[in-house]
Amino acid sequence: MLEQKEKMTIILFSGDLDKAIAAFTLATTAAASNMAVSIFFTFWGLNVLKKSRFATTKSQNILQRMFNFMSTSKLPISKLNIFGLGPVMMKILMKKSNMASLSDLMKLSRQLGVKYIACTTSCGVLGLDRDALIPEVSEFAGASTYLAEAKNSKVNLFI
Amino acid sequence: MKADRTIDCTGLYCPMPVVKTKLELENMQSGEVLEVLADDPGFEKDLPNWCELSGEKFLGIFKEGNKLKGYVRKK
Repeated sequence: MLEQKEKMTIILFSGDLDKAIAAFTLATTAAASNMAVSIFFTFWGLNVLKKSRFATTKSQNILQRMFNFMSTSKLPISKLNIFGLGPVMMKILMKKSNMASLSDLMKLSRQLGVKYIACTTSCGVLGLDRDALIPEVSEFAGASTYLAEAKNSKVNLFI
Repeated sequence: MKADRTIDCTGLYCPMPVVKTKLELENMQSGEVLEVLADDPGFEKDLPNWCELSGEKFLGIFKEGNKLKGYVRKK
């Protein structure tokens, strides 16, 4: 008998390290509880998926390049960022207390079948094409796809 | 309680103990019992709740000092 899995969706709008960790902690836990989980990455959330630090390409216009140059895959934290010192201190603290890092959680989430969906509108605005993002992104879609999934999901989060 | 397998999640925080529990159960046979050692205080509540979500059978969780020993039977 095919089991109908319960669903969960997350919109990751934020490109902050701490918020991304919260999103991936919940996604990983839900997937480990036999739920089907999808994360929609939009706007700053796409920074989590950038393959390289800046993800600037030749096809981007000057404004897009500026945006990608100033908002990179090196994620800040939402409070006490202190020009990048905050994330460094936070990573040290997390390592000391043996907490899973964002890359650990992302790896686990893929292993447990969490689906990554990149918002095509944000990708278009920021000039990010498929090649600029990590290959784990399984779909490129828009708001209707999110709503169709969210409608059938019991847990929907916007982070 | 007698267990077929044991995993040690001592020193790990949420969500790692339940994620490791899930991954270990994937390699076990139906009816087998997994023992999970942990010291994240949240795990005492998280394990029974995770079992309810995932449909695995929760057998109990025991506290000795700040150490927790949880037991799950694979469905």
